[in-house]
Amino acid sequence: MKSFEEILDFAIDNEQKAHDLYMDIAEMATRPGMRQTFLEFAAQEMQHRERLEAIKAGKLPELDQARVETLGLSEHLVDVPVEKDMDYQSALLFAMKAEQRAYDLYAGLAKATDDPNLVTLFEGLAQEELKHKLHFEREYDDVVLGDN
Amino acid sequence: MTEQTALERRVQLWFGPQHPGITGNMAVQAWLEGDTLTSGVTHVGYLHRGFEKLMERRKFIQSFPIVCRICVPEPDTNEWLLAASIEELSGLDKEVPEKARWIRTLFLEMSRLSSMLMVLGGHVGAMGLGTAPNWLITLRDYILDRFEELTGARVYHMYVTYGGVRRDLPEGFAERLEANLQEIESKLPLVDNVIFDSAVFRKRAIGVGVVPEEWVDELGLTGPIVRAMGIARDTRTDYPYEKYGELDIEPMTTTGSDIFARAWMRRLEIAQSIDLIRQILAKMPTEGPYSAKLPNMLTWTIPAGETYVRAEASRGEMGYYVVTDGSDKIRRVHVRGPSYVHGVTLLERLMPGTNIADLSALMVSLQVCPPEIER
Amino acid sequence: MSLKYTIAPFSAWLQAVSKPFTVPVTGGPRPGAPRYRGWHINDVEKCIGCGTCSAICQNEAIDMVPVDDPVVGDSGLRPKIDYGRCCWCALCVDVCPSGSLGMSNEYVWADTDADVFRYIPGVDEKPWDDSELGWRREEGFELVDHDRVPMGMLDPDERTQTWAEVVIGYTEEQARVEASRCVDCGLCVAACPAHMHIPDYIGAIRDGDDARAVQIIYDNNAMPEMCGKVCTRRCESVCSIGVQGDPLAIRWLKRYATERFDNLAEVLQPQVERVGEGRTVAVIGGGPSGLTVAYYLAIRGFEVTVHEALPQVGGATFFGIPRYRFPMSSLEKQVDLLKSAGVKFVLNHRVDGDELTRMLAENDAVFMGVGLMKPMALRAPGEDLPGVIPALDMLREQNLGHEVDVGEKVVVVGGGNVAIDASRISRRLGAEVTIAYRRRVVDMPADDEEIEDAEAEGVEIVTQAIPLRVEATEDGKLDFVWGPAEMVQEEEGKRPRPKLIEGVENHLVVDRVIVAIGQGPDLDWLPTEISEKICNKWGYIEVDETGMTAVEGLYAGGDLVNDTADAISAIADGLRAVNGIVDKTRAQHV
Ligand SMILES: Cc1cc2nc3c(=O)[nH]c(=O)nc-3n(C[C@H](O)[C@H](O)[C@H](O)COP(=O)(O)OP(=O)(O)OC[C@H]3O[C@@H](n4cnc5c(N)ncnc54)[C@H](O)[C@@H]3O)c2cc1C
Ligand code: SF4
Ligand code: SF4
Repeated sequence: MKSFEEILDFAIDNEQKAHDLYMDIAEMATRPGMRQTFLEFAAQEMQHRERLEAIKAGKLPELDQARVETLGLSEHLVDVPVEKDMDYQSALLFAMKAEQRAYDLYAGLAKATDDPNLVTLFEGLAQEELKHKLHFEREYDDVVLGDN
Repeated sequence: MTEQTALERRVQLWFGPQHPGITGNMAVQAWLEGDTLTSGVTHVGYLHRGFEKLMERRKFIQSFPIVCRICVPEPDTNEWLLAASIEELSGLDKEVPEKARWIRTLFLEMSRLSSMLMVLGGHVGAMGLGTAPNWLITLRDYILDRFEELTGARVYHMYVTYGGVRRDLPEGFAERLEANLQEIESKLPLVDNVIFDSAVFRKRAIGVGVVPEEWVDELGLTGPIVRAMGIARDTRTDYPYEKYGELDIEPMTTTGSDIFARAWMRRLEIAQSIDLIRQILAKMPTEGPYSAKLPNMLTWTIPAGETYVRAEASRGEMGYYVVTDGSDKIRRVHVRGPSYVHGVTLLERLMPGTNIADLSALMVSLQVCPPEIER
Repeated sequence: MSLKYTIAPFSAWLQAVSKPFTVPVTGGPRPGAPRYRGWHINDVEKCIGCGTCSAICQNEAIDMVPVDDPVVGDSGLRPKIDYGRCCWCALCVDVCPSGSLGMSNEYVWADTDADVFRYIPGVDEKPWDDSELGWRREEGFELVDHDRVPMGMLDPDERTQTWAEVVIGYTEEQARVEASRCVDCGLCVAACPAHMHIPDYIGAIRDGDDARAVQIIYDNNAMPEMCGKVCTRRCESVCSIGVQGDPLAIRWLKRYATERFDNLAEVLQPQVERVGEGRTVAVIGGGPSGLTVAYYLAIRGFEVTVHEALPQVGGATFFGIPRYRFPMSSLEKQVDLLKSAGVKFVLNHRVDGDELTRMLAENDAVFMGVGLMKPMALRAPGEDLPGVIPALDMLREQNLGHEVDVGEKVVVVGGGNVAIDASRISRRLGAEVTIAYRRRVVDMPADDEEIEDAEAEGVEIVTQAIPLRVEATEDGKLDFVWGPAEMVQEEEGKRPRPKLIEGVENHLVVDRVIVAIGQGPDLDWLPTEISEKICNKWGYIEVDETGMTAVEGLYAGGDLVNDTADAISAIADGLRAVNGIVDKTRAQHV
């Protein structure tokens, strides 16, 4: 992975994969409302993909480098397997963990390279994933942990 | 040419309701032979208010803005009587704080003082002498300044409420009031010169408008009118209320029972009032609440009952007879103002034989306040 | 006459050269005294539009006029003063419950147009708007009663020894005094989800007509004794007297009125049009929403059958809320009224998907109010250890009269009503109780009074505690491991969120970990054709303004529809469906 373009393509592909996964889960979801939930998640991934494409085409400014503070909600919670009877709580947990993994990936890549331009790009992508995670964390905090 | 009959010589004259010499919204229909009244009839009906009836339609608290209108120069007796009567019927009287009782006594005495300053000016004003009234109205205004800072208004104070008063004395109030009293005292000798030492006033007041002693109990006369006959009657000492029982106070009297005696009576009582205010300020506690805790004034109901409470206004005994029926409103209130007997019954008796030029002075000396008649 | 009297008056001429009596005023009108009662001012942000000023004005000088859209706790109206009527008595100022209304010390204002002397202080700009001086509300002089009649309660020590009701209830005398504090502003009516006619029934209690009060209460609440005991009382939070004093004890007054009568049917005798004659309605779930639908439809002639999975109706108020707050006798009394209105009950019967489909075909309407039956899981490691139990299960067992053993020491995770109930029950079962909550006490969704009561009963509350995991100890106990949190305020207008402070672990060794972090809908049994139409992404049901779902004839309400999840909201949802069903029936008559 060398060029700016190549890296963005890689990231775009990642979003696409996430989208496809959510579409698959939506297809098999049995619980009331859960199909909708996963379709919505998939649509969000699509938006992320489009955003990266816009950046690649030079239509949007560079990625925001500001550090995102998450709530650290998912780290201590158990992993959730993909199942057809996932409920909303599991779905959020799954999504939080997926965004965290994506962050870990970009953060790792940023460490592994010396090219300052690429470091900036990877770090920007990493922060982007944290933003997505925070979105799910807030939802989890409001909906699942309403009484806690 | 035939001789004119007595009847034909008689002239009928309306004195008021729009006459500067009349004391407020009323009229006297007078019959004259020459310039002497053969008889006179009083007329009221120019006020169109119906205070007593209005109160039957209002919650207890809402009557305060009404009762003060019953007497412009001295509204405060009305406020106090309404408060005292309802407090007695509701049992709230037991909760009126000590300090509130002192403030109320002060307030009532300030009210008497300001009213007497005004009416003393009226005595000579009614004879066409302008200097003293201008001065005395100014002296009264000094007291109104104090009312303004105490109650938020100069004339209609709406300051006494059930359970106490509406606000505490402002910081430094006593000192400012004392300064006013000294100012008033320093000016009174000047006032004396132009009233009691004036040949005009003496000639027109001495021996004029004499009220015979026999009428006192027959008509129910009170206040300066009877004290000016030498009878020591005063509600403040005869039936002490609020803190009057704890003050050093003797009823003032003079003799003569004419317009001059009544004016002099007021002059004496102005001095008495100043003395009482000083006593009150000295004895009054500075700490403590100024009001009891009140129930919700929008829903307050009080037990059925009736009572009569009285107080010494500058004009005489003022009383409220109040009936309640257990609801949130007064069932019936009768306002017993001294002006009814003084301004109707007594005045009509005194008019025959009075010179038309003295009628104004006579009415002022009886201190007639028409809203008390037409409640 | 002596010469003196002719000469003395001329001394007045000396005044020509002496200090005058009058006080010269220069530079415009003399300012009014510091507490002068001049033109009104109003802090319209503070004003709640309660109209108490208008109510006390004996000159009817105040009109309440709309200036804003009403929001809960604010009518959107503001006082407009007519100075053709005002007598500057300032009773309006002294009574103002919010303390927003005042008077400036300005008194001079002339204009040729008489209409300008009617204005809305604080809205129509005036030169004296910022006046520091003038008449203001003063603490220590209140025309309304700020002090609530205190409610008698069992002694905290005594409480944990018994299942008896903690709250004793008002006596007649106490209720009358408390009721007389109401100023009839009606802000509470807007705040109540069911829009109960609160000032009206409080007025009836004040006037000693308790039967009338109960009739008014039953206008739009068929479980008022329950609400009188456990309601979340949104009404009280907007009570205008509560701005500066204690809000009216609306809940306790409702409780008082309903407790006065043993036989409600005798008192009520509702006079309503029996539009539902010959029609049938099935209600699934006997919670507050379902019972509301059942009662109001039954008195209108509908034949209503309630299907309930448990052996008793009442929903969460039966299986969740503990008896010391809402005793069985109270519930039974309310259910008896429903029976006397002709409602039929099928108990111990769980409706499934096929039956629902059948019901839709066989009835004129079906109402679903099956509540939130699925407890949220911690999803922390160790949750599946024996001894980690959902609070809902524990409360249900207790309320069904089964033996519940919580051991000697428990930790309850959560800060809602369920958590508080679980801890107070545990106290009564003899355990030492700690509540571990992720946020602060102020953030707890539980009722403040409940929190206080729990603390008085010896429940310890640990805040900003994030559960990390549960481990089994060697001696068969559970080690509840938690980490401290800091509160971070991320979004404007939202409550701050807890964020784990990494690296610190605290241990609490207990016999039970009771999980009360929230509950969600459990609608897996719905046929997919139906759930696809009516459920949203959170798994809740959506309804229109008539209470109907996207499936014709299927109505829903209660916790699985609204986002406030309390009894009165469930009742309000029930009322909405009643109106929907009645209106539809009426339309069909035409
Ligand atoms: C422990 C606890 C304490 C609470 N404290 C308060 C409080 O203090 N104040 C307050 O206002 N609110 C409180 N609430 C909330 C309040 O009780 C609920 O908001 C209210 O009961 C919701 O009513 P509902 O009509 O939605 O149904 P629910 O009360 O939830 O009842 C639903 C009913 O449907 C039945 N059911 C479910 N599925 C089926 C089926 N398939 N077939 C047949 N029957 C079925 C259930 O058994 C249950 O009886 C508390 C709740 C709990 C759990
Ligand atoms: S009483 Fe006070 S808070 Fe209520 S409407 Fe009037 S000004 Fe506003
Ligand atoms: S000051 Fe008195 S008269 Fe004027 S609006 Fe207020 S309550 Fe009414």
